[in-house]
Amino acid sequence: MSKDKTPQTTRRTTRLSTSSPSLSNADAKLTKCCSTPHSLTLRDLVFGGEIFNADDLFASLPGRRGVILELIRLLGPLNSRMLPLFLYGGVSTGKTTTVLQMFRHFKRPFVYVSCRSCYNPRILFESIINQLLLHSKNEGNGYSSAKRCEKPSDFVNYLQDALGYVINGLKEKTEKLSLKKSLKWVKGSMVYLIIDNLELVRDWDKSLSILPFLFKLYDLLKMPELGLIFISSASPDTYHSDTGYTEPIPLYFPDYTEEDLRQIFLRNQSNPKLYASFLDVVLKPFSRVTRRLDEISTAFSHLFKIYCEPLEDQTIVPNEETKRRLFSHLQPHIAPSLNEIFRVPSVCSENRANKEMVKWKLSGNKLGVSDVLEEIDFHMSVCAKYLLISAFLASRNPATLDASLFDSTGGAATRKRKRKASEKSMEQKDIAEQELLMKGPGTFPLERLLAIFQCITSVADYSAEEEELDHGGLGGGAGDGGLMSDVLLQLSSLCSANFISKGSSCPLEGSTRYRCTVDENMVLKVARSMKFPLSKYLYRN
Amino acid sequence: MGSDNPAEKALILHRTRLSNPNFIFTHFSNSPDTNYSKLKFIISSSVTEACNNSVLLLGPRGCGKAAVLELVLDDLLKEYPDMITTIKLNGLLHSDDKCALKEIARQLCAEHQLSFSKVASFDDNNQFMIDILRECGLAHKTVIFVLDEFDLFAQGKQRLLYSLLDAMQSVSSQAVVVGISCRLDADQLLEKRVRSRFSHRKLLFLPPSAEDLQGLIKHMLLLPTDSSISDDYTTEFNARLLKLLEDGRCKDIIDTLSTSDSTFNHLIRFLFIAVCHMDMNLGFLTLENFKAALTGVQRQPKLECLKDCSILELYILVCMMRLEFREQESYNFNTMMKEYSSIRDSFKTCDYYARNVCLRAFEHLLQRELISLVDSRGHTQSLEFHPVKLLVSAPELHLGLKSNRCCPAILQKIIDRG
Repeated sequence: MSKDKTPQTTRRTTRLSTSSPSLSNADAKLTKCCSTPHSLTLRDLVFGGEIFNADDLFASLPGRRGVILELIRLLGPLNSRMLPLFLYGGVSTGKTTTVLQMFRHFKRPFVYVSCRSCYNPRILFESIINQLLLHSKNEGNGYSSAKRCEKPSDFVNYLQDALGYVINGLKEKTEKLSLKKSLKWVKGSMVYLIIDNLELVRDWDKSLSILPFLFKLYDLLKMPELGLIFISSASPDTYHSDTGYTEPIPLYFPDYTEEDLRQIFLRNQSNPKLYASFLDVVLKPFSRVTRRLDEISTAFSHLFKIYCEPLEDQTIVPNEETKRRLFSHLQPHIAPSLNEIFRVPSVCSENRANKEMVKWKLSGNKLGVSDVLEEIDFHMSVCAKYLLISAFLASRNPATLDASLFDSTGGAATRKRKRKASEKSMEQKDIAEQELLMKGPGTFPLERLLAIFQCITSVADYSAEEEELDHGGLGGGAGDGGLMSDVLLQLSSLCSANFISKGSSCPLEGSTRYRCTVDENMVLKVARSMKFPLSKYLYRN
Repeated sequence: MGSDNPAEKALILHRTRLSNPNFIFTHFSNSPDTNYSKLKFIISSSVTEACNNSVLLLGPRGCGKAAVLELVLDDLLKEYPDMITTIKLNGLLHSDDKCALKEIARQLCAEHQLSFSKVASFDDNNQFMIDILRECGLAHKTVIFVLDEFDLFAQGKQRLLYSLLDAMQSVSSQAVVVGISCRLDADQLLEKRVRSRFSHRKLLFLPPSAEDLQGLIKHMLLLPTDSSISDDYTTEFNARLLKLLEDGRCKDIIDTLSTSDSTFNHLIRFLFIAVCHMDMNLGFLTLENFKAALTGVQRQPKLECLKDCSILELYILVCMMRLEFREQESYNFNTMMKEYSSIRDSFKTCDYYARNVCLRAFEHLLQRELISLVDSRGHTQSLEFHPVKLLVSAPELHLGLKSNRCCPAILQKIIDRG
């Protein structure tokens, strides 16, 4: 049988590498150290570390006791065959963690791949086979896989060989030592294959053939020593297939309840009583919005710092009076934090946000809904800001109004007097508003954008010049010529920042149309920073 | 390192049986006039009479087509050793013609101890296959081609099917082509020239009837008397199992199971979960095991999702349901927010959150697949303007609200009033 050569990645020789003479002594020693690769053994298929007994398992995963017991039952005793399992549940409910901790407890060999890091079939197949063949990618073999495997048929053949090799190795080890003592680091001779993030496979190009293939893998391989576990955050009924597929055994991971969340947060806290009193205050309102662990924990970490501010000593156990004091300190911050719950603050904006909140609290606002009006926290050039404002106006206003809004007097001089609205026109206004809500911002051609931009900047120049005379001149030469030259450049950078989206060119009309995708709040912030009277130009029914 | 606990040995035995896809069909191997016997007759007659044949096995998924074929082939290999070569292809893996011929060549080489070259071209492999077929025909050996997922082979140009069926037409070859498909119209997918070379023999596989179910369960779960498990335990276990199966409640459970899905696969999954739930201390199967297995295998994913939703997400769903009641054809996030604020005004609810929080909760609902975008092509618009639709119906939403632990009572009122 002709041997298949391991695929060598061809490397272009650069001039530097060919021209450099022999390495110096130090470099040679270094490469020698790196060149002996760390070779993998069967031990690497098992979760290493200390013995992890069942109590530790239950303690490390609060709220998951029922699910863990069910999983233990389904996995079964040592070396018992298993039908494929399908674990599903919401996002960040601990599916992957639970499965991996269980294998840490059981010390059974497993192979783990995630469809997030293996983003096409070839990488998925090669990753599984590399792990089974105990092959690691390193400099010695040019970071290539053990076998080149693109098609499912090759994968099945290689997988059967690799599994046979691994299972024979495990059986030999257990037989050799079964007379003297039992192996501590591995139990059993079954290998488990864990495929994580299965819902991402639905978006792959070849998903119509890969998904039924993965579900049928157990039947195709005909190797009873393999256990297959799928983990997905989408439920099994969302995997559509025209002709159906063989269904694995489903197991559901419910979301954490409030009590579970409390237990999870109280783990590994330096001062549990203090944190418990903090949780009493904040957990209930936050869990009304979302019970997702990752989102709540980012919000809580920020709030806990505020909560602990009045305390001089962080390690005291709070009594009733302290609790009330801390609560009253925290309370004004809860409601705005609720409204910003999904925002992950960066470090500098955190400081600014703190200052903003203090200012806002002092101004005595009601605890209600109000978006904290801030400045935009990234930099935009003057030209880009004007361009954004003109794009927004072009999207929101109907094109027929341009003439009246942007005439030479700077607009709004010729607005019609308001007449009493009849019922029919009120209905029409409702319908028009409804349409605006549904359809979204309109499209505009490039010429209209440039025309509005010209109008705005000429007006602004006029008022800016007046200001400049007061301030003694900021930057000279900000006339029309200077701004116009890089307008198109700014337009393309706004498009790549997704503030303006470019539609496909219509074959009838011939030019591309643009659409402004920024919402009104953002444009208000931008306009305010430029001292631009946006409301004067905006068409409202 | 087996344990001495007979319950554990019984558990391992059951799990092995249930994980083996062919075991359940040995129940049918003795009775006449089943698909098993018909298939065996077809293939054995073409082996003994040295003629060519083709047959299609059709039926819904999980009804034992491939398993019965395996049993037949195993039996025939025992009866006629050295006279049969099997080539197994699967439509999921080998629907590409080049791939399929490479696999055929590989299996033929493995069977006849020849060296296989991986760089052989399509024509080389084709020629090789024709040569082998001729040689086997001259030596009076039958080659059986098993084409699993036959409908996937019928996509594209059907070159492989044509070359296989064409090779069978020559006098010197002795081949049987068995196609397995879950599409009942698989033979309609064939091209005219392929269909004319195909003998229209079809065997239909159906899910088991209600009477068969009892027999099947007994076949799977009764412990054999000649295993390594102690005899007292075996007789006790079997007696208890038979008594349990006669119980009316147990019969109800099995009826519920088979009315929703009566295929063999579903039954196997049910029995697997029931066996896994067997209490090791007690050591015997009880009714509770069966009840737990029924809930385990019949899931309602949308209801589970609704139970897990937070209160804000429930509000968004209720708003969308109200919009649907008013027969608005399409709605998006903005119209939903308008409805949300109108609910707040009219019902004076306290759960009113800012727009970006609602948008994020909206995205969570999209992730959970409780709502979906109407057309997912063309992401030029931002999410707020995309039309969406609800993927849960009104009764499901009612049920979900009732079963959600933290659902405020006012939501129920709102959706009833809507």
